[in-house]
Amino acid sequence: MEYIKNIKKSYKLKYNITYYIIIAIVAVMSVMSLTGDLKRSTMGLLARIAYSIIMALSLNLVVGFLGELSLGHGGFMCVGAYIGCFCANYLHNVIGSPLLVLIIAMVIGGISAAFFGFIIGLPALRLKGDYLAIVTLAFGEIVRNIFKNLPWFGGAMGLSTVTYSSNSLFIVGFVVVLLVLFLSQNLIRSKHGRAVTAIRDNEIAAKAMGINVTFYKLLIFVISAAFAGVAGVIYGHFTTPVMYSFFSYNYSIEVLVMVVLGGMASLNGSIIAATLITVVNFLLQDNLSGDLAALRLLIYALILIVVVLFNNSPAFKPIREKYSFHKLLEKLSSHRKPGTVTDDKADWNKIESKIPMDEVLSVDFRTEEATPASDFTEKEDNDNG
Amino acid sequence: MKKLARFLSAALSSALILGAMAGCGGAEKSEVFLIGATGPLTGDASSYGISVKQGATLAVEEINANGGLEGVNFELNMKDDKATAEDASTGYDALYDAGMKISIGGTTSGSCAAFAEKAAKDNIFVMTPSASAADVIAKGDNTFRVCFGDPDQGVLAAQELSKNFNKIGCIYDTSDPYSSGIYEAFEDEMKELGKEFTTKTFDKENNKDFSTQVEALKDCDVIFVPFYYTEAGLVAKACVQKGVTAELFGCDGLDGIASQIDSTVTNKIRYITPFDVASTEEKVAKFVSDYKTKYGVEPDQFAADGYDAVYAIYNAMKSAGVKDPSISASDLCDKIVEAITASDFSYDGVTGKMTWDKSGAATKVPVIVELGK
Amino acid sequence: MNIILDGLGLGAIYALIALGYTMVYGIAKLLNFAHGDIIMVGAYAILTMLNMTGNPWLAVIVSVVVCTAAGIIIERFAYRPLRSASPLAVLITAIGVSYFLQSLAQLIFGAKSRPVTLPALGNITIFGASFSVATIVTLVVGAIIMAALTLFVNFTRTGRAMQAVSEDKGAAQLMGINVNRIIMITFAIGSALAAFASLFYLMQIPATSPTLGSMPGIKAFTAAVIGGIGSIPGAMIGGVLLGLIEKICLSIPVLSAYTTAIEFGLLILILLVKPIGLLGKKRRVKV
Repeated sequence: MEYIKNIKKSYKLKYNITYYIIIAIVAVMSVMSLTGDLKRSTMGLLARIAYSIIMALSLNLVVGFLGELSLGHGGFMCVGAYIGCFCANYLHNVIGSPLLVLIIAMVIGGISAAFFGFIIGLPALRLKGDYLAIVTLAFGEIVRNIFKNLPWFGGAMGLSTVTYSSNSLFIVGFVVVLLVLFLSQNLIRSKHGRAVTAIRDNEIAAKAMGINVTFYKLLIFVISAAFAGVAGVIYGHFTTPVMYSFFSYNYSIEVLVMVVLGGMASLNGSIIAATLITVVNFLLQDNLSGDLAALRLLIYALILIVVVLFNNSPAFKPIREKYSFHKLLEKLSSHRKPGTVTDDKADWNKIESKIPMDEVLSVDFRTEEATPASDFTEKEDNDNG
Repeated sequence: MKKLARFLSAALSSALILGAMAGCGGAEKSEVFLIGATGPLTGDASSYGISVKQGATLAVEEINANGGLEGVNFELNMKDDKATAEDASTGYDALYDAGMKISIGGTTSGSCAAFAEKAAKDNIFVMTPSASAADVIAKGDNTFRVCFGDPDQGVLAAQELSKNFNKIGCIYDTSDPYSSGIYEAFEDEMKELGKEFTTKTFDKENNKDFSTQVEALKDCDVIFVPFYYTEAGLVAKACVQKGVTAELFGCDGLDGIASQIDSTVTNKIRYITPFDVASTEEKVAKFVSDYKTKYGVEPDQFAADGYDAVYAIYNAMKSAGVKDPSISASDLCDKIVEAITASDFSYDGVTGKMTWDKSGAATKVPVIVELGK
Repeated sequence: MNIILDGLGLGAIYALIALGYTMVYGIAKLLNFAHGDIIMVGAYAILTMLNMTGNPWLAVIVSVVVCTAAGIIIERFAYRPLRSASPLAVLITAIGVSYFLQSLAQLIFGAKSRPVTLPALGNITIFGASFSVATIVTLVVGAIIMAALTLFVNFTRTGRAMQAVSEDKGAAQLMGINVNRIIMITFAIGSALAAFASLFYLMQIPATSPTLGSMPGIKAFTAAVIGGIGSIPGAMIGGVLLGLIEKICLSIPVLSAYTTAIEFGLLILILLVKPIGLLGKKRRVKV
């Protein structure tokens, strides 16, 4: 009984730890920003991190949990930013409180982006894989092209917006991050979330089980688009003017990079990767001024390539295993965790032999480790190649 | 993964907190006047940002070599903004933290608008070399510019063209604030003058093949090309390919087109510019030769604007009698604004003699130059 | 009439690039986002050779060699180690390679767009209408290359081996085909086609810049998907179709600003009617 209680306790901590960490960081930062000790650029960076995290979380719903590749997520953000901030510009005349305007704008931006999410979800019912990917890419480019040519939204000059005080925009941003995280986590752990992952793993089997594939696909696209729209409104309040050029497929791909590097279907991973990538970009911009700026993209590109190669290449497998965080943590903690089963004899094919019980019990069971089956083919390829 | 996540987030949060803490402690006493700037140093528009940076750097080095402002040196810090608004905002914040006292803003209109918006709140002086869109200097009383405004050039071009030509064609870039800004003023003025003209558009993000547009305008006597020299060079080449002999008439962005075309282009090319690289005027010739020695290429208008922006600030500070680098940026801004808008203040730079009024626009005499003449 | 011809010329360029995408996709199941940047590499190779020797033929040959080498090197060092990784991981590497090539070009050649002077081909007059010789050359050479490629894929041992690998990698390996070698050859051919595309591109748009390849790359990717990704004739048809639409839209004043939207909108429509593209192969999904 005591044992189960302990597990339950550690569960609670485990699943809420992300919230605690975010709240703790933001609380410290808020106090510092109130006392004026926080650097201006740090506040800006935090706001950027906030909307990047929301983007990464929302894209992860589509890519990680629904299993559809989307290359046009910037398009939803674009819709949210333009329409949300367009309304905010008018609301400022009516409502005095900028916070209230921001909240209303986020709702409007979210709803309008959700509408487009619904529209783009429709082809998703018929298309698969790379075909859907190119449709989302096309959607992103179409949205940009249209906003660019509409005079109401400022045309080529971009939409001028009223920026929110940088002292507190990041606080609002992180409250939204928490909300988005809460909603996504609960969605994913609910019956509906399981249905979605079932569709990802095998659509036909899911259909056979009586899962309404149409409904769930549309649902995920709509929710994900709504989150992206909210991120767009935050972006529009972070900087002015809102320029169509920001939402190009390059940005959509940057968000995808966050999701992939963070680990598919791992919400925490997305948060970390979004933070890291935004920070790396910021540091590169900050430190490489003047002549060195040309190196910025080069370094970013090298980081991307090296990280992916290191994480995935069979050549680095021994190093990965030797220096993995799992090993490190095992060394740090003197005792093995309860619920970890080891099977030392089964290492003939480097099958991941530890079965972490808590992860099996949770829903996001797709970790970055390859499944034994694909491990096998990988071996085959290498021996012959 | 979970463990990894937890470990990383712990590491990250501590790193973030440490990083933020490191920034505490208030601004240290500065020994130099830090000039902040942002501009595209990578990406599609980077040639413009790099030119501004090189011109401004040359000016700063010259000033410092001559003893600075009463012994106080200047320092230029230019951040890459990839010509985007959000990177300009971030760049501004970083410069603010670094103790920026004055700035030459952003290079391109969109990012300079973001820069100027923030600078207006902090009251930091902005003298943008090249952001010519109308609403950039409208962001605050502290924003000034060296270059012409877009609408002025459109109006001037309309007057010049309608006077001399019958069949007028125009190509403009719908994706570019600079180009569409000029075009709108041009269109209005042409309507006012009662002149007909044919318009074609392009979008430099997606399409740089001008054969369709040139084909459609092949009967015109003159084609108005209000955009930057990179694309205008392509228009000239498309003219050669299609056998179109119309004159090409452009605005200050066309300066630098010589590097983009070759001897096959026989069309007459004229443009409105404040800066003529072939000028025999002593200070222009000196600037051109210094620039060439330092960077190995001829300066374009962006470089000249960057050079003038720094010198304009320097001269205004001199006439305001500022000496102490520990002056707050806001006070400095008020002093510079007062000095620069004073009726007796003028600055005679490589892009002509200019004066400023409260709106922030520079008044200077535009010259229409013909390429190769 | 000239618009149609221009459109066909542009279409041929897109088709040549799309072939690279589609072959690599068909055989390695990899969206090679760096493919557009190979065109940029080819363009700079032509520029450098022209400036050094002034001989356009030599420039073209060197450009083909450089692009092929670049393709092989990229495949060897960035993609081969990831043969067994998830397609998305490879996609990220491809993006990394794309950024890498762009920034490398900026470091070496500078950010400024640089003009390229190819010999002027002028115009010829047929039936009273004047046509650009460059466009006609593009069309003819493009058609020859595509025909040769079709013959190569269908009638040579290597070509058949490529088909086999694209059908089933594992089975092809069991039949004694060296899969890695075939994939390398595919990259080499795709990159060589990109070199030709860069030549034709420069004939239309005679200037190079580090980001020259990204938009044609995306458009060609779109073309490949319209035609059915993995299908060689599909890529050709998709490319030509896209080129035609682009040129026609550009010539209509009301639509010209919305050209991109129309192109991509059409793509969505085509995919909604034919979810695997015009000539894509239907794959049966096993449960």
